[in-house]
Amino acid sequence: MSLSLSSEQMRKILSNPSFRELTAARARLRWGLSIVTLLMFFGFIGLISAASSALGKSMAGGAVPLGMSIALGMIAMVVALTGYYVRRSNTYFDGLTQLVRRECGR
Amino acid sequence: MMMRILLAAIAATVSFSAHAQATAVVAGRDLNWIAIGMFLLIVAVTLLITYRSAGRTKSKADFYTAGHEITPLQNGLAIAGDFLSAAAFLGISALIYATGFDGLVYALGFLTGWPIVLFMMSERLRNLGSYTFADAASFRLDRTSVRLVAATGSLVVVLFYLIAQMIGAGKVIQLLFGVNYLFAVVGVGLLMIVYVAVGGMQATTWVQITKALLLLIGGTLMALVVLWRFDFSLGRLFAEASRVHPKGAAVLSPGGLFAEPVSAISLGLALVFGTAGLPHILMRFFTVSDSAGARKSVFYATTCVAYFCLVIPLFGFAAMVVLMPDASFFNVGAGGQFNKITDLIGGPNMAAVHLAGALGGPILLGFISAVAFATILAVVAGLTLAGASAVSHDIYGQVIAKGDAPEAREVMVAKIAAVAIGIVAVGLAIIFENQNVAFMAGLALSVAASCNFPVLAMAILWRGTTTRGAVAGGLVGLFSSLVFVVLSKTVWVAVFHFAAPLFPYDNRRSSRCPWHFW
Repeated sequence: MSLSLSSEQMRKILSNPSFRELTAARARLRWGLSIVTLLMFFGFIGLISAASSALGKSMAGGAVPLGMSIALGMIAMVVALTGYYVRRSNTYFDGLTQLVRRECGR
Repeated sequence: MMMRILLAAIAATVSFSAHAQATAVVAGRDLNWIAIGMFLLIVAVTLLITYRSAGRTKSKADFYTAGHEITPLQNGLAIAGDFLSAAAFLGISALIYATGFDGLVYALGFLTGWPIVLFMMSERLRNLGSYTFADAASFRLDRTSVRLVAATGSLVVVLFYLIAQMIGAGKVIQLLFGVNYLFAVVGVGLLMIVYVAVGGMQATTWVQITKALLLLIGGTLMALVVLWRFDFSLGRLFAEASRVHPKGAAVLSPGGLFAEPVSAISLGLALVFGTAGLPHILMRFFTVSDSAGARKSVFYATTCVAYFCLVIPLFGFAAMVVLMPDASFFNVGAGGQFNKITDLIGGPNMAAVHLAGALGGPILLGFISAVAFATILAVVAGLTLAGASAVSHDIYGQVIAKGDAPEAREVMVAKIAAVAIGIVAVGLAIIFENQNVAFMAGLALSVAASCNFPVLAMAILWRGTTTRGAVAGGLVGLFSSLVFVVLSKTVWVAVFHFAAPLFPYDNRRSSRCPWHFW
């Protein structure tokens, strides 16, 4: 597979605009989502050590304590983030990969 | 040959359960026949799976990856089955039972590892490697040295994790079925050797899928029973829990575990990045046919784990309400006094099991006990397979034979390695029976986070990585983790403090809970 590329083909792929778009956009998505995920979790931990007693209180009218609601929201966010990444990668990016393959004659 | 091994395994199981009855009678415990029946059924089903897989496990691709033919949904379930150890089910519900809110943050930590694995690891791993994560780690670098470091890291993680799991398994089975510890450990060891040596990845995968489905069914059933008990009102559950718990309303807010920012963040780091360095988890990405499949399987796995993070707190809080006011669940002292957490019969890890018995009677109790047993089997099988692959594919096949080993011989080496790892793990689990295993589980997770994860991350994410850098980084992580654990036996606290910032040093207080299993 990719191991058998000649340097000519390599140059062709590396300078292909679709390929550049693909790698740049994919890196943005990957690092962006990772940072969002880590900020979310470590931000929550920071919040816990900063304002632990406030998190035990229920929101006005609600029965579930605030900290617990945030935790539930984070669980949902984790699933949503992975779902978004998988959808985006398996449709948009894999489509772009096919395009690069065609344009570079492989 | 194959038939003989399976017959021996069946014979061992039968004598195992006969022994269970004998000891239970001796100990004066009433036996839960539903639990024993379910347990025998699970053993029979998994052995049948193994028997059917044996015929399809011939080449090394079959042995290591089930021929890359597992579908994403199957793989997602198997990953969840591989990952959700008894720590998730019994340990985290126990942690929530003991500490309330903190246990939920803990669960969140290990859920958060999953998106990171997906974004950073899964697809590149699948694209660069074929059988083990060492393939991907050494792809662009010097094959021999990087592979040796990665394989050593894998083996250390597998062995220590396996010992901790086996000791946890021995104790849990002892409690659930009244079997003697030695029999429990030998029985689990024998079963995992049979699954891996006979059925390879195919059998391991299906054992893990079976376990994941049982865990999902058991968890959902119990969640419904709990919600029914509280009229489907979370407010009532929380209000009653804070009334009976010794900590009072403080169970609803963050407490000791995550109070201090430094230890909270180091615990968070170990939980998040430890996941991304566990060899038995990483190996599962090679069982699907392409990187799109690898991504999808992480999504299914994450959904499963997330579902668990939702239902597990229900068990912990409901256990407070149901168990704490009732002295019959506790070892009551001479003056009628008991500690509502540590004096729970069988320890706090049994909170979910007692809850099942209290709410659903012997049927739910038996079912949940059997689910806990299946949980243990699936995890140890995954670990044994990962260890055997590190020996046969990385060390024997690629380093010693330079990739020229005849396929049949490499598969044979893998099977022998599986048997050897199983025997070593059983032996060590017997030797260390009464040791605090927290340090072993801690070592496994800290080596995973400080050796395996950085080597792999450097190799696949950072273009400028050199062989020397990757090898040095891996070795530093490996040895600092090892050194701190060796020293920690004598100077536990001091060493915990500076040698391994990734290790949750503040968490020893809760070591009776999840670390046993982790």
